[in-house]
Amino acid sequence: MTEVSPGGPSPPGSFSVAVGQSVRTLPWWRTPTARRYLFGYTLLAPAVLYVGLLVGLPFVFSLYLAMSDASVSSPVARFVGIDNFMSALENATFYTALRNTVVFTVGAGILKGLLGTSLAFLLLQPFKGRKVVRALIVIPFTLPIAVSVLGWKWMFDSQFSVINWALSRLGLIGSYGSPDWPVWLGQPGLALLSVMFVNVWRGFPFSAIVLLAGLTSVPPEVLDAAKVDGASFMQRFRKVIVPMIAPILFVGSAFDTVFTLSDLSIVYLLTNGGPDGATEILPTLAYNTGIRGGALGRGAAISLFLFPLLLPAIILLLRTLRRRQY
Amino acid sequence: MASVAVVPRTARARTIRRHVFIYLGLMPFLVIAVFPIFWMAITAIKQDADLYLVDAVPFWFRQAPTWKNFDFLFHNTSYGDWIVNTMAISFWVSVITILTAVPAGYALARLRLPGAENLGIGIFMTYLVPAIILFIPLARVVSMLNLQDSWWALVVVYPTFTIPFCTWLLMGFFKTVPFEIEEAAMVDGCGQLGALLRVVLPVSWPGLITAIIFSFTLSMQDFLYSLAFVSISEEKPVPLGVATELIRGDIYFWGSLMAGALLVGVPVAIVYNLFLDKFISGITGAAIK
Amino acid sequence: MSHERLAETHPTTLSRRSFLTTAGGAVAGLTLADMLTARQAPAQIKGTNLRLLIWSHYVPAYDVWFDKFAKEWGDKNGVKVRVDHMPHLELPARYAAEFAAGAGHDLMYFAGQILTGQYYRNLVDVSDLAEGLGKKYGGWLDAAKSAAQVSGQWYAVPDFFISIPVLWRKDLFASVGMGEPKTWEDLRKAAGQLKAKGHPTGMQFSHCNDANHNWRALMYCYGVKETDPTGQNITIDSKEMREALKFAKAMYDEGMTPEVFSWDDASDNRFLASGVASWIHDAISAFHSTRLTNPKVFEQTFVVPEVAGPGGTWNVGEPNVWAIWKFSKNVPAAKEFIQGLADSQKDAMQASLGYNMPFLRGQYTKPMPYLGNDTKLGKLQDQEKITAFLGFPGPMTPPAQEVVTTFIIPDMFTRVARGGAIEDTMKWGVGEIRRIYAKHKAS
Repeated sequence: MTEVSPGGPSPPGSFSVAVGQSVRTLPWWRTPTARRYLFGYTLLAPAVLYVGLLVGLPFVFSLYLAMSDASVSSPVARFVGIDNFMSALENATFYTALRNTVVFTVGAGILKGLLGTSLAFLLLQPFKGRKVVRALIVIPFTLPIAVSVLGWKWMFDSQFSVINWALSRLGLIGSYGSPDWPVWLGQPGLALLSVMFVNVWRGFPFSAIVLLAGLTSVPPEVLDAAKVDGASFMQRFRKVIVPMIAPILFVGSAFDTVFTLSDLSIVYLLTNGGPDGATEILPTLAYNTGIRGGALGRGAAISLFLFPLLLPAIILLLRTLRRRQY
Repeated sequence: MASVAVVPRTARARTIRRHVFIYLGLMPFLVIAVFPIFWMAITAIKQDADLYLVDAVPFWFRQAPTWKNFDFLFHNTSYGDWIVNTMAISFWVSVITILTAVPAGYALARLRLPGAENLGIGIFMTYLVPAIILFIPLARVVSMLNLQDSWWALVVVYPTFTIPFCTWLLMGFFKTVPFEIEEAAMVDGCGQLGALLRVVLPVSWPGLITAIIFSFTLSMQDFLYSLAFVSISEEKPVPLGVATELIRGDIYFWGSLMAGALLVGVPVAIVYNLFLDKFISGITGAAIK
Repeated sequence: MSHERLAETHPTTLSRRSFLTTAGGAVAGLTLADMLTARQAPAQIKGTNLRLLIWSHYVPAYDVWFDKFAKEWGDKNGVKVRVDHMPHLELPARYAAEFAAGAGHDLMYFAGQILTGQYYRNLVDVSDLAEGLGKKYGGWLDAAKSAAQVSGQWYAVPDFFISIPVLWRKDLFASVGMGEPKTWEDLRKAAGQLKAKGHPTGMQFSHCNDANHNWRALMYCYGVKETDPTGQNITIDSKEMREALKFAKAMYDEGMTPEVFSWDDASDNRFLASGVASWIHDAISAFHSTRLTNPKVFEQTFVVPEVAGPGGTWNVGEPNVWAIWKFSKNVPAAKEFIQGLADSQKDAMQASLGYNMPFLRGQYTKPMPYLGNDTKLGKLQDQEKITAFLGFPGPMTPPAQEVVTTFIIPDMFTRVARGGAIEDTMKWGVGEIRRIYAKHKAS
């Protein structure tokens, strides 16, 4: 790994390594650090290039769109600065969409975290039929989203809902046509809850699996040591397990949050933002304005609106996590 | 059978009590996760008219169950093509993802590179760029590569959302590989690359499998990109095909829709589960040797 | 409750799908003979390729006929034709991608969402083709120009429009002593009385395509004008609009249930087929599907082209037009195809089971295909006299389109139905519309 450069003055920019009795000087590009960097960046290159070209460049393009008056028929248009963002703020529906997006993402995120954690713990225990349970639990996540959401559409149907049918047979609600027959996708609060529920239904198996991965990477010796030291389950949980899974939990949640924030399928297929904006979220508003309505610039501005808010939040999160690890 | 009222002292009683608690705890999860699947399965073999009977039991049949919906799927639509396309797309996307995310994950996990932290942040940021805007410049790229209306267009595009996530995932896995193993290999004479290939990768195969599985599932979720880039029926992946050809305005072919979803979702879940098992036992078993 | 009995369907051996497809198949046989007598296309297009994108028709039999027609036309003219179908609501996304890519289909279809005004700079000027068709077939309906012209030039060729009439239950109306409804008041009265008997009505108060059309029908019948005929000035802020909103609220309170807030485009079809609905305002695809899923209900279901309001009788149709991308490599074949299809309009109408309404006046000579032979649908033969399109009386401009895709009108009606004050709702709605139009003017 190191080379001996016999005699002569050291070239500028090189450094000397004392190895045993002799001093060996190396050009900077041959140092272990440099070789490590070279190796590392080479390994990184394919991923960075791929994503950089196919996402990074289009991202810059979408920033440009957000600051121009582009439409679907003329993506090269005049620069208008932050006009589109201002225009979004003038739109009352935008505030509704923003509020719904935050409620949706945070609410669903909390539920997924709680349910996912509980499920992960349960799945950690050895019991009969665990394999079958694990296989079943994973299905909501593996079904293509477009179709499983359509299934839910039928399950929430105002006339033929299975949920209502079951609840009605159990005597918990009245029959079809009575005032307490829930219209899942029609009553404002209920509609938002319903779309959130579908997101949680799809997502909590994913959270559980990620957590399971984290939990199983806790070295058993550490846990055993704690047990030997007389720690109770709660103490073991709080002092040993939580700190070890916290990074995975946070990063998993962060990913899930960004996935949820840009997902429009669930709302689009169930209610398309209705009734009267009760389930309108930023992605559906952006799609209906920018793509179906043709106003590309304004659509881009709406969909990128959260970006400046999330960027610092994520930077903060990752920096904090990194510090905790060292 | 020990009665629950008596505080169990025997190991067997403890086991049974534990099982009961676990099953009780799992019930709500199973009901929430599985009841819709069960309903979808029943719907897949129900006759259409049976679905619209207001007072019929949705969980059972008033008219005889039928394979007609599956039949329709395979004979009146290009479902067979769609399944093949989906599998092919997911396969190639996984290949591309592994080839790019494994080295990237390793570099970020192990090599203490300057700017690694910012790259980690960059990984997240890519998901904030919404597909509804991205698909327009990507349409240009697809057309430049002459891949319009071919499922290869999706093979090119899907890694944009599988690579970042899998990089992070693999980063996490590589971090758990003990440094000593690598050092041992390097002392034995392989370079850093050799250590990666010969030692680190084999040990982290559960992570690789997980990354592949996530690639698969993420690829099967997309709708917008396939809608924008593929309009030819035989080139469509399952989600696009099912959603565009089994719904005609006001006629939803519910039975076939559900059949189409289950046929592709359930096998993936089973495979997923097979590997999940190995992955978990692999980790707990081989931890630090 | 009576609706439960009616919900029992006969076990039909003839499924809905096979009925709709065999009908199409039977008709397809006619076209070959027709085409052999039609004009021959010029030789220059022989050996070329043509790619079409068209919507997935609500009557599946039509797509069967159309695909066959396209293939036979291609065979006859030596053109390799490829037809792709897509649900109409997703077409705009596809067109945005094709435009960005500079490649895609040669011939495309704007179904419901008319993008002529949006893309006209990139569409082939088809004035010669359109004028020719107009001359040949008795002239275009005035409404045709709204969907296909920009500044007097044709950038699209209208194909068909879809009518959205009233489908009503004769037996239910009779049970409260009412005959055929003639006005919106009649509909409201009937719904009010029948709701008490378990047969309410329903019109979507949600973010769906039908909501945009149904409420505009009410509006236009009340004399509301969205813009002036140029499409530039907004005239929706009027007494008539307030009256329409008031009426909608009354009709909701008296005759509907809250489930209408969750409805999508297909919900009213299901409502009718389940036997519950006293009447619905929907395209005749609901009529056809009820025939198959609930023959008992179907027997009692009749059609009224539209009911009158204080401002007249206007039915809101959904136009479908053809357009050719400038970047198409086969413009001559595309034009010839449109010509060939227009020459086969009668067969197309028959294949669509009366769903497609022509844009050319000459096609309205009675008896019209399918409609002329159906006692219930016969009245639709005069539909063109009362048909208007979104944006009426202005053309379907990009801002009008954006008002449609952001569901401002349905939202206004939803708010009022939920108990919102009319003035507040007007202020919000008109404000949003003005904002959108201002944005489009600025660019």
